[in-house]
Amino acid sequence: MLHHRATQGRNRPGDGWRLIGTALTVAFALLWLLPLVFSILMSVRPTRSSIINGNIFFACDLEEEPPGPTVGVGPCWFTGDNYAGAWEVAPWPTHYANSILFVTGTLIVQIPTTTMAGYAFARMQFRGRSLLLGLVLLQIMIPSGILIIQNFAMIRQLGVFDTQLALMLPYWGSAFGVLLLRQTFRGVPLELEEAARMDGANWLQLMRHVYVPLSIPAYISFALISISSHWNEFLWPFIVTRSESVRPLTVGLNKLFHTTDLGANYNQMMAGTLIVIAPLVVVFLLFQRRFLESFAQSGLK
Amino acid sequence: MTVVSPAAEPRRGKPWLQRALPYLLVAPTLIFITMFTLRPAVQALWDSAHSRPRANQPFAYVGSQNYEDLFNERHFIGRQYVKILHNTLVFTGGTLVVSLPLALLLAMLLNRKIRALGLWRFCVFYPVLLPMIGGATIWAFLFSDSIGLLNTILRSFNLGTVPWLLDPDTVLPSVIAVNIWKQTGYFMLFYLAGLQGIPRDIYEAAELDGAGLFRQFWNLTLPLLRRTTLFLLIIGVTFGFQTVEQLEVMGRGNPANRSNMLLYYIFQLRNEKLNTGHVAAMTVILALILLIFTSSNFFLFERGRHDEKA
Repeated sequence: MLHHRATQGRNRPGDGWRLIGTALTVAFALLWLLPLVFSILMSVRPTRSSIINGNIFFACDLEEEPPGPTVGVGPCWFTGDNYAGAWEVAPWPTHYANSILFVTGTLIVQIPTTTMAGYAFARMQFRGRSLLLGLVLLQIMIPSGILIIQNFAMIRQLGVFDTQLALMLPYWGSAFGVLLLRQTFRGVPLELEEAARMDGANWLQLMRHVYVPLSIPAYISFALISISSHWNEFLWPFIVTRSESVRPLTVGLNKLFHTTDLGANYNQMMAGTLIVIAPLVVVFLLFQRRFLESFAQSGLK
Repeated sequence: MTVVSPAAEPRRGKPWLQRALPYLLVAPTLIFITMFTLRPAVQALWDSAHSRPRANQPFAYVGSQNYEDLFNERHFIGRQYVKILHNTLVFTGGTLVVSLPLALLLAMLLNRKIRALGLWRFCVFYPVLLPMIGGATIWAFLFSDSIGLLNTILRSFNLGTVPWLLDPDTVLPSVIAVNIWKQTGYFMLFYLAGLQGIPRDIYEAAELDGAGLFRQFWNLTLPLLRRTTLFLLIIGVTFGFQTVEQLEVMGRGNPANRSNMLLYYIFQLRNEKLNTGHVAAMTVILALILLIFTSSNFFLFERGRHDEKA
């Protein structure tokens, strides 16, 4: 779907337009990339000589001597110190593990719950169906992210404050997933279901052998959207956790930001930021097309 | 009512299970949605109509008093709330006014035969995927007062410096700029899909009629993407009204609440014991705004889409 296609003919509008188009593309791409490039540069430059008195990065300080093993040409050297420092400030492996646990724990429960409800709403007739579907839709219309105060009270009442469970619970029911699968299941030919039932398949077998295998692309889309949105989530994890042992990466990064001495330690902060975002960027680079296709379906996120 | 093919169930004792099956299937989803959407929404509604004069006194029904306070400029919370509502509108509008046309332009640029397409697409889309907290820390550095990149560049041209995030007049535009950087790639994706859905022969016919590139854009591309634009406007508004992360990193709503916004303000007041009614009223108002926008989105697009498929 996202394959490029030339909407304009070969050189009818003239090569001038094409040149302008290419120039604009490159200009915007570079502009958008700028923050990332400069944060990377910042993270590998020594703390004090990064930007002083109007020097932008490349103007290197001749007087400062590299303190340890460094890479670079002459006085313009790079250092890994900021990464070492940022690595010390927060328990990143724990935050990583927590983020991974959060997104997988959420998805693992979401898949059966959305499959079940998705099927029921797609293929079953039952009393109160429209009403119940309306209730599901309510979650799309009022994102639970804005009901933080009331939901925080709920988490307290349940006695799961400051646990991984508190992070995941609100997301175990997913209206977006239900709608996506409902729509996908409706596209599965009814004859296949009837044939399976003739063979004596029960509901579980019907799912396993007919509906789920035929809906793999939808599941992949849902998984990518679920994983990336929860991986990036900040507000809810921030509110329902207190200890670093359960807090995900985003909350850890926020803490790093608010605890570093802002005047001097942007180098370390950029290193910390890159520690957090690098894996995501790499995963995106590897699966770019899948991501783009999935995100195009996420309008009702 | 019966399940899809009752004839396929010859054994006895099954019908009750068959009748219960749909309810069992939707139950888990409904339980979680009831717990974390329906119940809290009702709770917010109830709380917003109650208030307690002192921390240890019971709640009393106050009708619409809490809502009136929010819009009463003489009330201490009203003074902040109106300003914050205004900020949210400016932020949302300011983001969309720039990012939607830009997204369309980028989509048209990337919808051509062009070398290294994946690279350019990555450059524009990667901010969408980053956690906003991460994106905002980078921008906080770019905007920082003494060593920030923007001020360094200004200084090297002897233009002085701008206290981007510290000046009440520049803080909101700065936060808007970050949001544009973050969201344009996402919007572009939908325009790209929209453009690819337009048949090429329409343009060829237009060209035969002598329509130039700009005429083609105004009379074909733009009208044909109207639904996409409307859809993006609506989700753009719902995104804008849920802005939190960049505020947490870029000044926490300061200075003087000039960059504060609806949801972040609710979050800031979460531990207030005396104003629970006011905060609940803010939650209800925010919920209503989102409800209006998302449901219009649903009725405009989702229903149509389902009808096509059904």
